[in-house]
Amino acid sequence: MIEVRGLTKLYGSLVAVEDLSFSVAPGEVLGLVGPNGAGKTTTLRSLVGIVRPTRGTISIGGRDLDRDPVGAKRQLAFMPDEPRLFEYLTVEEHLRFTGRLYGVRDSDGRIPALLRELELAEKAGALPDELSRGMKQKLAIACGLLHEPKALLFDEPLTGLDPAGMRRMKQTIVERARQGAAVILSSHLLHLVEEVCTRVLVIHRGRLVAIGTIAEIVGSRPDLQGRSLEEVFLALTGT
Amino acid sequence: MISAALYLSRRSLANATRRRLARLRQPKYLIGFALGVLYYYWLIARPRSGAAGGAAGLPGAGGEVLAILGLTTFLLMNWVFGSSRSPFAFTPAETHYLFTAPLTRRQVLDFKLLRSQLPLFLSSLLSVLIFSGGHFTPSRIVRVLGLWLVFSALQMHYGVAALVRQSLEEHGVTAVRRRLGVITVLTGVAVAVALILRRQLPEVQAAFAAGPAAGLDALGAILHRGVLGVIVWPLSALVRPLLAPDLATFAARLPAAFLVVGLHYVWLVRSSLAFEEVAVESAERMARRIAAWRSGRRPPPSERRSKGARRSLGRLAPVGSPARAIAWKNVQAEWRGSGVRLPVIIVLGVAAVAWVASLGAAAGTGIQVLATLLLVFAGMAVVFGPYILRNDLRADLLLWDLLKSYPLRGADLVAGEVLGPVAVLTGVAWGCLLAAFAASLAIDLPGFPVLDRLAALLATAIAAPAFLVVITLIQNAAALVFPAWVTLGPGRAAGVEMIGQRMLTMIGSLLLMLLAFLPAAVVAAVAVAIAGVAGVDGVWRAVPGAIGLTVTLGFEGMLAVAWLGRVFERSDPAAELGG
Repeated sequence: MIEVRGLTKLYGSLVAVEDLSFSVAPGEVLGLVGPNGAGKTTTLRSLVGIVRPTRGTISIGGRDLDRDPVGAKRQLAFMPDEPRLFEYLTVEEHLRFTGRLYGVRDSDGRIPALLRELELAEKAGALPDELSRGMKQKLAIACGLLHEPKALLFDEPLTGLDPAGMRRMKQTIVERARQGAAVILSSHLLHLVEEVCTRVLVIHRGRLVAIGTIAEIVGSRPDLQGRSLEEVFLALTGT
Repeated sequence: MISAALYLSRRSLANATRRRLARLRQPKYLIGFALGVLYYYWLIARPRSGAAGGAAGLPGAGGEVLAILGLTTFLLMNWVFGSSRSPFAFTPAETHYLFTAPLTRRQVLDFKLLRSQLPLFLSSLLSVLIFSGGHFTPSRIVRVLGLWLVFSALQMHYGVAALVRQSLEEHGVTAVRRRLGVITVLTGVAVAVALILRRQLPEVQAAFAAGPAAGLDALGAILHRGVLGVIVWPLSALVRPLLAPDLATFAARLPAAFLVVGLHYVWLVRSSLAFEEVAVESAERMARRIAAWRSGRRPPPSERRSKGARRSLGRLAPVGSPARAIAWKNVQAEWRGSGVRLPVIIVLGVAAVAWVASLGAAAGTGIQVLATLLLVFAGMAVVFGPYILRNDLRADLLLWDLLKSYPLRGADLVAGEVLGPVAVLTGVAWGCLLAAFAASLAIDLPGFPVLDRLAALLATAIAAPAFLVVITLIQNAAALVFPAWVTLGPGRAAGVEMIGQRMLTMIGSLLLMLLAFLPAAVVAAVAVAIAGVAGVDGVWRAVPGAIGLTVTLGFEGMLAVAWLGRVFERSDPAAELGG
């Protein structure tokens, strides 16, 4: 579903990401972890088409992001850590607007169900500045889920959520993967990665350090046997 | 507290200056800085003909009357149109550090007042320098200090007014009801003043007949007599130091001005205590709400009060062109973000029609004036509208990464962004043109028959959207190609180099406009000539001319949209905006 080959992004002489290759199959949740400045956000932004890679190819559902950006983007959804909303569109209008951009023909039918699912029905007519941080996050997620994307990318999805919100968010991620979506989740919260992700990609200074299930990663390094994920992470990144 | 405020101001100023100097290493900032310095030189210190410094001798009583009238206008505007955002709004950092520090509310307020004095002083200094042609004499020091005093008092007054408005809002008084209340009170005061003045009006009229200076002197004398003198005293006391001819007079007038400023301070502190009560009430309400949610109950309706959004201007169909969806979003933003502008325009329009109707036999002149005003308004909408309505890329590039994640061609996005404000402004321009034409039908204009007016209406209506597209596109192109040079969103960047950059952007925009309009003007001229050869009469030749102009500008616009779309697709938000 998501295929990345030789992804490299340079900012002048600064190497943000170097020769990164991996793939995410439908139903998989890949955890993207690494210390600050490792290149996680650049990788995610490249996968969504926000940043143009210097080298390498990205394909979403068989469509090359560089050659067919519209076709590729139509299949994915990106949930940034801070919800990006338009000041003067109501909750329902955000969904209607997103549906139109993604060509969702039956958005009239999907919107009420989505609003109910994310407990936003009573706020359908509210503007973003009338919403709490958690509700804004929910609205951003609703916008991302409206077109039933085949690839989902989350950047620090639990930021600013209360415990109940965190639980619902984790359920949403797992549920969408169960329905066949390929999910990439970038987070510093290792317990979240451990709980939700089927595989982990560790990135450090823009380079891939390790990829696989936690058992596979630990198995490849005998010195890491019996260590916690936190210790494994620190050992792999040398931090 | 004072030392902490001074430390923060000193360090902030030093670090901001150091940072600005550091970014002069980039050519665009260096060029901007050089242009900014030249601009200020031209504004302040350029050699001028005639007397050095026009503001050397402000007139005595006349100057005072004008200053009082000016101050009154500022205060009235603030009470009627001001928002509940206080000029003492705290930044997130100030809220975090000051509100949690072991300080009294009054100390926090003192801190904020103290910090705002430097910008106020610099504004006073700059204003006086500009008006005095860079010549600094003792009388100019009086002006600077006097103006500083007026600015400080105004700031405190605005602060109190904002707190009153905020308190009213918290107690459920809507902005419309509040404004109506203020207007009612002010109308009452105006009627009372008019009644007081009625007896002295002939005296003032006679003085004005002798000359404006004598008239202002007479008005000044009346303003200081009786009840009116009591009402006007605070304003007079505040502006008199500013108008003092020398330092000694300035010093003598200071105690009264300090009394007014001091009373404002007391008022502010007391209001701030009242505001605290409102804040506590708000906090308690929030605590009740949280408790209700925790216990699984729905909060009562009164606890879920929401100010709500202005009704939508139209429902977006689920399927259709993405560009139209973007344009729809921007039109909604213009509609919902217009605040009181639209109701005020509607009220003014209704008042103008009522005025014309009340003229009776002299209605013809009134209609002419009204039609002329409408035409001027239409012209202003076309020329200045694209600079005022900024709900396009200039606002949306703050969400650059979100826009880039949409499955859209760059050209579709740019077209949609530009079409929003263009649609709104076209509607305004067409409305004004049509109303002017309709109004003109009621009067006889020798040499300009109705059919010719219709031709003029058609020609301008055809050309207006094309002009709007070009001007709006240029503004959007500047934002997309040089985001660091254009203010994105509602805020405005500061600094000498930013003034220079704005000047460069303006010059560049004018050149681009010239380039765009030249071929269009040629095509329009050819179309007019062909129409003449084909036997089309007089003003009607303008219609094919307008069509030629519009088609050419439209074609140029399409090319620009395609190019800007590619620029957008290749752009990197992180490189352009940082982060």
